Order: sequence, then structure tokens, then C-alpha cells
Amino acid sequence: VTSDRRIESLLRELAPQALGALVRRHGQFDACEDAVQEALLAAALQWPKDGVPASPLGWLVTVGERRLTDEWRSDSARRRREEADAALDLVPGEPAADHDDALTLLFLCCHPSLSAPSQLALTLRAVGGLTTAEIARAFLIPEATMAQRISRAKQSIKAAGVAFDLPPPAERAERLRVVLQVLYLVFNEGYLHRADLTAEAIRLARLLHRLLLDEHEVAGLLALMLLTDARRAARTDPDGMPVPLAEQRRELWDAAQIAEGIALLTATLGRSAPGPYQLQAAIAAVHDEAASAEETDWPQILALYTVLEHVSPGPVVTLNRAVALAMVEGPAAGLAVLDTLRGDESMAHTHRLDAVRGHLLELAGELAAARECYRRAARMTRSVAEQQYLALRAAALPGDNVPKAGRSGV
Amino acid sequence: MKYMIMMFGSAGEMMDVKSPDWIREMIQFMRQLDVDLRDSGEMVFNAGLADGSSAKTVRLADGLPVATDGPYAEAKESLIGYWVLDVENEARILEIAGRIVEWSEVVEVRPVADAPPEV
Repeated sequence: VTSDRRIESLLRELAPQALGALVRRHGQFDACEDAVQEALLAAALQWPKDGVPASPLGWLVTVGERRLTDEWRSDSARRRREEADAALDLVPGEPAADHDDALTLLFLCCHPSLSAPSQLALTLRAVGGLTTAEIARAFLIPEATMAQRISRAKQSIKAAGVAFDLPPPAERAERLRVVLQVLYLVFNEGYLHRADLTAEAIRLARLLHRLLLDEHEVAGLLALMLLTDARRAARTDPDGMPVPLAEQRRELWDAAQIAEGIALLTATLGRSAPGPYQLQAAIAAVHDEAASAEETDWPQILALYTVLEHVSPGPVVTLNRAVALAMVEGPAAGLAVLDTLRGDESMAHTHRLDAVRGHLLELAGELAAARECYRRAARMTRSVAEQQYLALRAAALPGDNVPKAGRSGV
Repeated sequence: MKYMIMMFGSAGEMMDVKSPDWIREMIQFMRQLDVDLRDSGEMVFNAGLADGSSAKTVRLADGLPVATDGPYAEAKESLIGYWVLDVENEARILEIAGRIVEWSEVVEVRPVADAPPEV
């Protein structure tokens, strides 16, 4: 089993390199991507039996190339003649372990012409080396649906006529922002639903960090993921109910992961104006460093949220700053900040404003009003676990004139 | 044989009349039920829905689709979750539905019409 797992992680690592080599040689991202998936599948079956070949990357490229020529041969009689000749010229690969290929692929899969769900799916398959079935399972949708989504994403890339090259310097910052966003979305998807996606997001962020050591926001994103994921074991109770940060058992937090995140962050902070991921990672670090909820350095967190609000303003940041302010100056100050979000269109259809308001009202001792907020939030959330959690919070507070304990068990 | 179990109710109503202990037990029951149905190989798929008050109703008005908020008025009893299960027979599906109804106001059971045509 251990060696199977070793092979699996080797294949995941080699997937973008093999794909990069094929695309460089033959163009046709679409066909090459299918060929690499088949080569990965063949390797997953063969290597555990026969052992890992001396040049695993060369093996994958050669098998992928063979699939490509098979594909071309079966295309048409005309192509068959052409490609059969060309196939003889194929040099069974010793492609350079060109790490730029993985980067180029990341930019390609996160191309702005694709929708966010397509970017996520394609990144996981072409760069992450996951199979369509694995991706479909992770997103809880049928495999045929995911296959179609990936196939359409590849067609869009073809239609957009994107070259297999790094984006030009003028576009690079904006394109990198999209890549980081896609990786963060993969992470969040995993954080909310599936731990294996979280691990994959962290692996891809590590890869990106290795490729772009000087990009502080890449380090910031990786640190943010590590510092957040470190709390995973404490985030839900044995029944699967969410446990708020203040009530988590901190001995369950992953100390090694926290140390790694903090080290990454320390290496970048102060070297340039921090970006949003570095700031969010810094906030996560302050939480992680507190030995208990009571010892949390809220003034520091408030200062970081205030900077974050300047760098990357948005209602969710304001919401979080309101909580920090409430912890520093009292719930009334936090509630006053929440009032500024009242007319915000993007807050109108989420449960978050009411959930936070309920929390602050509860802190202020206004229990009936807090209960109303939790109830409204429970009606609006899209998460069953959160709905149940908010229902519990509401039910635990005294209401106006409603019988509480009655009708147990119906 | 495939059946759909539809569970009706309202999160809002539940918060008004139930105790935290009751809610906690209900949550445990629902989680355990999903685990059991997966273990037994009967679960095809299932989902919980957001509260009925978040629903929109789409109707044709003068030949054009128009979405309106609601239904609020009937929010007391709207669909809040469903299971599609592949079970041995009707007795089994009614037994499962009987366990669910202890925690929900109304449960509806209906066959999924995926049998081949006999004509």
C-alpha cells in the first residue's frame, strides 16, 4: 500500500511535466491532455506490478505519445499515412524536467476565458493529475457531468487560441491573481466538504511556491492554507457539527503545520507591502498562536483587518473587522460597523451578516434579538450543517413567549 | 426498486418549538441514517435543501418566465430534504420513512419511474 501511494504521488507530480512535454512537441492541448490521462492510468496499473521504470517521466511521455499517434492513425486514411510516417520520427522521450511547464499549464487552466468551475476542474486534472472520476467525487457531481465540463473547458481553450506559453509580462500579475484565486477556491471547496481537495490545493500551492519563490502572495496563500487547515481536526465535533474557533480544542491543532505556515509568512512579511493573502495568513497566524481563545491578540487582529480593508475592501472583510472591533471595544462598536453593511447588495442574500449580528447581540446580552438573527441566518444558509448549528444556537436562547422544551420527539 | 422519500418541514418552525436537546438528537439521527443507508448499499443519492423561505417560484406570465420570491406563506411545510433509495420492496421503504417521520412533520414516499416500458 505504501508503495502504491508513493507511485500515486509520483504520478501526480509528473502529470504536468509529461503534459507540458507533449504539448510542446505536438501542440493540441486537448488531445495531449487525454493522452497523458491514459498514460497515467496505464502507469497506475503497471508500475505497482512491474516496478517504477528508470525514467518515469520518459515512460509517461512515450506512452502518451503512442496514444496520440494511435488516435491520429484512427482519425482518417489521409492522416493515417501522414502520422504513421511522423510516428517513426518520435524520439522516445528524455524531455527536460522543465518545471516551467507546470507553471504554463497552471496559467492555461486558469485562463480568464473559462468559468470558475471549469478552471477548477481543468486545473485538478491537467496540473493535479486527478482522474475525472476523482474530481467528480470531490465535487459531488456525476462523473459524466464532470467529463463534459472538462471537455468543454478544453474546447474553450482551443477556441480562444491560447498559446502554450507563459502570459506576457504585462498580463502576468492579473493572470497570477486568477491562478491564486482558483487554488484558494479548490482549498475552500475541500475545507467545506472534502479533505482530499484541501490536500491537493496545498500540494498545488507548494508547487507554485517552488516555481515562484519571489512572489510573496504565493507564499502568503500557501501560509494561509497551512494555518487554516491546521485547525481541521478541531473544526467539527464527533457528530460533524461545526465548532466555532473560540470553542475549539486547541490541542487538536496541527503544530507542525502552524510552524511551517508562520515560517513562510515571516520570510515574506516586511519585504514589500503585504497583499491580501499575506494579511489573511497573518490573521490566521495570530489566532493559531493564541494558547486559548481568551489570550487571542484581538488588537493585533483588528489592526490587520483594518489594513486588509484598505488593500482589498469588501463586505466580508468589513464583517470580520466588525467582529475584531467588538472583541477590542465591545459588541456595540462591532454592531455599529455591521450597520454600515445593511444596504450592501452582496450581503442581502447571505446568512453571514445575520449570523455575525446574532453573535454580537448575544455578547451584548440582547438575547431575544440575537435569537431572531440566528433564525434568519438559519433560513438563509446553503449548508445543512450550518443550518443545524444556527438552529441550535437560536434554540439555546430564550425567545419572547414561545414554549421551549415541549413536544420533544413529536 | 427505487423510491424517493421526500421530507417536509421548516427550519424556522423547528427553532420555534423544539428544545436544543431535541434538535441535537434529530441531527444525530439524520447523520446516522445517511451512514446506515450508505453502508447497506441502498443510498442512490440524497440532499438537504435550504429553508423554504429561500425559494423562488418561476411561472409563465403572458408567455414569459417570471421569478417571484416564495412560497413564504406555505413555509411551514415545504420540501426540506430527499433521499433516492434502491430497496428490496415497499415494506422496506415504508419502514425507513417511518423512522424519518418521527423527526419530521410529513414524509412522502413515491416510486421512481425508471422501469422499462412494457408496451
